[in-house]
Amino acid sequence: MEALIELVQYILQNVINALQRGSFYAVISIGYSMVYGVLMLFNFAHGDIFMVGTYIGFGIATLFLALFAGFLPGPLIFLATVIVTMFLASWVGVFVEVAGYRPLRSAPRASAAITGLMIGIIFETGILILLGAKRLSFPPLMESVSYKVWGIYLTNVKVIIIIISLLLMLALHTFIQKTKWGMAMRAMSYDFLAVPLMGVSINVIAPLTFAVGAGLAAVAGILYGQAYPILDPYMGVIIGWKAFVAAILGGRGSIKGAALAGYLLGFIEIFVATIFPSTLRDLIAYSIILLILTYRPRGFFGMEHSTKLRL
Amino acid sequence: MRKITVLIIVALAFALAFSSPAFSARKTVIKIGINAPMTGDIPKVGEGSKYAALLWLEDIEKAGGLEVGGKKYEVELVIEDNESKAESAVKANMKMITQDDVLAIVGPQSSKQAVPAGEVANKYKTVMISPWSTNPATTMDRPYVFRGCFLDPFQGPVVANFITEEFGYTKAAVLYDVASDYPKGLAEVFKAAWEKKHGAGSVVAYESFTTKDTDFSSQLTKIVKSGAQVLFTPQYYNEVPLIVQQAKDLGWKGPIVGSDSWGSAETVELCGEACYGLYFSSHYAAAGAKGATKAFIDRYTENYGYIPDDVAALTWDALKLAQQAIQDSGKITGRIEKDRAAVRDSLAKIKNFAGITGNMTFTEEGDPIKCAVIVKINDNGEYEFYKSSCP
Amino acid sequence: MEIAKKFKNTFSTVPMLSWLLGTLTAVAIEYFWGYDYISYYLGLSKIPVLFGALIMLKEPMMIPGAIGYDLIVYVIPILLIAKTTAFFTNPVAAILEKMPLWFSVILHLLLFYYTLHLWAGINDYRNIIVRLTLISIILTISINVINGYQGEFSCSHPGFMAIGAYVSSALTLFLFANDKMFGTALLPQELGPWGFPFILIAGGIAASLGSLLVAIPSFKTRGDYLAIISLAFMFIVKSAVENLNVIGGARGMGGQPEYAPLPIIFIWTIICIWVIHNFVTSIMGKALNAVRDDEAASESMTVKTRKTKMTAFMFGAFWAGIAGGLFAHVIAYINPGMFSINRLAEILAMVYFGGLNSIVGSIVGAVSINILGEALRPLELFKWIIIPLILIFVMIFRPYGLISFKEINAKRLLRSKHKREQGV
Repeated sequence: MEALIELVQYILQNVINALQRGSFYAVISIGYSMVYGVLMLFNFAHGDIFMVGTYIGFGIATLFLALFAGFLPGPLIFLATVIVTMFLASWVGVFVEVAGYRPLRSAPRASAAITGLMIGIIFETGILILLGAKRLSFPPLMESVSYKVWGIYLTNVKVIIIIISLLLMLALHTFIQKTKWGMAMRAMSYDFLAVPLMGVSINVIAPLTFAVGAGLAAVAGILYGQAYPILDPYMGVIIGWKAFVAAILGGRGSIKGAALAGYLLGFIEIFVATIFPSTLRDLIAYSIILLILTYRPRGFFGMEHSTKLRL
Repeated sequence: MRKITVLIIVALAFALAFSSPAFSARKTVIKIGINAPMTGDIPKVGEGSKYAALLWLEDIEKAGGLEVGGKKYEVELVIEDNESKAESAVKANMKMITQDDVLAIVGPQSSKQAVPAGEVANKYKTVMISPWSTNPATTMDRPYVFRGCFLDPFQGPVVANFITEEFGYTKAAVLYDVASDYPKGLAEVFKAAWEKKHGAGSVVAYESFTTKDTDFSSQLTKIVKSGAQVLFTPQYYNEVPLIVQQAKDLGWKGPIVGSDSWGSAETVELCGEACYGLYFSSHYAAAGAKGATKAFIDRYTENYGYIPDDVAALTWDALKLAQQAIQDSGKITGRIEKDRAAVRDSLAKIKNFAGITGNMTFTEEGDPIKCAVIVKINDNGEYEFYKSSCP
Repeated sequence: MEIAKKFKNTFSTVPMLSWLLGTLTAVAIEYFWGYDYISYYLGLSKIPVLFGALIMLKEPMMIPGAIGYDLIVYVIPILLIAKTTAFFTNPVAAILEKMPLWFSVILHLLLFYYTLHLWAGINDYRNIIVRLTLISIILTISINVINGYQGEFSCSHPGFMAIGAYVSSALTLFLFANDKMFGTALLPQELGPWGFPFILIAGGIAASLGSLLVAIPSFKTRGDYLAIISLAFMFIVKSAVENLNVIGGARGMGGQPEYAPLPIIFIWTIICIWVIHNFVTSIMGKALNAVRDDEAASESMTVKTRKTKMTAFMFGAFWAGIAGGLFAHVIAYINPGMFSINRLAEILAMVYFGGLNSIVGSIVGAVSINILGEALRPLELFKWIIIPLILIFVMIFRPYGLISFKEINAKRLLRSKHKREQGV
């Protein structure tokens, strides 16, 4: 009996771990998935947009803490940081769209993927040149408190990360489903060519999509900074590629799918490392993904849609 | 057609007129190559190497050049970025040796670049001193390759002994990066040393992750559950703060011990109070240093605004070693192959070289016999000398 | 503009043979007089390595000297010799035109190789750049089969390369070298260079077998799933190698014997270009293009789409394996970290920069990215701003890459240029 309880506690502990990890993958891969859904493009700069967003968040957080710490309550500073960072980072998204993707509207999709990749490299090197090789430590926006609930270790940061991620996704879902802009985005993902004829300009929707994705990535960045407070210019690369995996695993243009796949990726990574020797983690985790795709080649919520390449 | 001809002639005349040192004889300049990771995974390591090299060059320039056999020679540094990639390190070495005619090379720092780059240096009979590479393969069977630090097979047992003596623990856990050769090698050595001491199975958790991971929660949960008393993690400075923080969040109470890769000033800067009171093995300890070591630390801090990490100190030593070897060789003939061989011979002969990271004498393989230091991170966040362990 | 037109007119009668002769003369001039005379009188301390690019960026004072060197050694001799020898090379080319094509091609290639050999022989840094560039050419052409001719987006090339590199290194170390990993050699070491082609092919076959792991699940349906299946495959290969301590794990595998000098790599590159050229212009290649443009339509025209796609994919993987094997024997050290995201970005950059659906494009892409990467070394960090910017501009102005949808026409390239003057 004792052993059973311990096992349940152990599993629950890892569920919490996986939820935290999965939250980042989910939020970041949603940004990926939106661009992929609306424009049918791989946004290979997304990982680096996330990185830039985190750096912006770092700057804003440091500034606000210096200005307001002491006479404004902590949660308010946090909120202000999130809002300002989101606003600024969404312009990074717009910039990427205008500079790297707009000139390639009629080009093959892969070429746009390459410009995305290259913009990402420019961001990485640019940050390295601007700020030097020093790694930065993200200032804590809330004091970390550990709890032990029924043998499970929790911190308030973990809980807040999980809740805020869920809230963000809910907000996005409402935005996509209920607002006019969201409707335009959905329409665009159904028919890339006909919708512009209906008076919805792609030159508005595309930057908007990038902006929303970048804003989400920036919030993820701030949260990331709270959980893993070390910033370096190459931090977005691996997480970007993993979000890419999650976005496609979720199915084309499916926000729900991307979120689910993000969490799934978190769970796979954590539980594979828990059950098997952790040296085999990547090997087994990606083999599982390979298997899933073999049996569900359209991902979870992929539309029955011609995915013909525009080449 | 005539226009083109005229254009070419004008360009040629221009070229001849303006090539400033035209018709001057080629000067003999002593060139030292630095092969460092300026971009890629560990740009900070590259920066430290570069800064240390610049300080060294400043000294030489102040003295009006390097005096060899009674004659002063101008010294030039050739700093090449190896992008933290093996093939780039090979190309950089190839370029410095065959194109720039360097007399000696300092670097690359990480073993994954130093091992292949050492092959090139050895093939072209050019002295290469890797300040930081602890993998035995770097210098093995390569008469022209040296290193400035101790090896993994030495460091692992030092840490295992230290933990046993200091805390009297018998159960240890190891967390390391499986995709990076340095942590992996050291983790294996430590495991072997620990199990030799405490019997098979005394390493109760042997967990790994992959480079660039930031979440270690499942591994740490496993480690906490395994009942280990001490956690050994031979990771780089960018992962240590995360590991320490997450371990505490997941209820880890025991000490965490590290290796020389913790030795960057950034470890404490990024980690903050969570790291105070932890121990690691290193090449030198910055806090409480005396003499030349202190002079170097002060000068570096003054110039670049932070306390030099072990890479910078080891690079400085490697450059001083190269300098000593060049001076000992007695004469610069200007025939590069001959000079390189002479430098190699005199470097191998150096006895009891007093470096800022300790005294060094080279073995047959080109590895120095030197002491390891156990450093404690004190309550001011400084690296304090705690103990030293000599072979 | 006027000058450019005149220039073009003057040199339009010069056949390939003359250009090659001109280049050969230029390289010979550099070889014999470059160090002792030309660079000496121009105040350069050595022969500039990549047409002076490194010196120019490092020491602006040297720019006139380096340009002067380029003019004296390369530009003037090439133009002069090309123009003056045209009177006899044109008839020669006309004679060659009447002979079988392969004869003429081999003759030109020999001339070209000799030039390259001389150029690379000046110092070993040039030599290694040339060798790595040739390997990049093989890689780029092989991924072009998949991403260009087949129109998929595959990310697994680093994985195939890793398989090829590891299989061939393990075989050479096991069979022909005394090393720590596998002990003494099984076969006499003298046999090594002769066995090497077979070992490389074994590596290629292993890579193409590995590609089945990607091909079988992903070619059931059409779509972007290949992108992540192949990405997952790349991570799987890397992780598997890291866990295999028999072949060194993360520590890597070193000490491969030097079986890949310049001539060997050159021959392999030529074979690769020839075979892939034949493949893509064959019926299979046409079927591949048909599948890319409209899968349903080509299926109805009796093209076996799945089989076509699988074959092409395995074929591309095979050559990536060969490239990996050669790479391992040039650097003489491999570790799993070499075959990861960075390598992928590099390969993708080369193929899309050069141009899809074109072997010439791939060659141009591989050569330019490799040369740029070396030539901009003195810029340090800014190199990684400039190269991506160049790529972005190329993508914006030429979305399909520099030279796309073009095939080599050896006959046209090598023909005599006499008739041009009559306005043909």
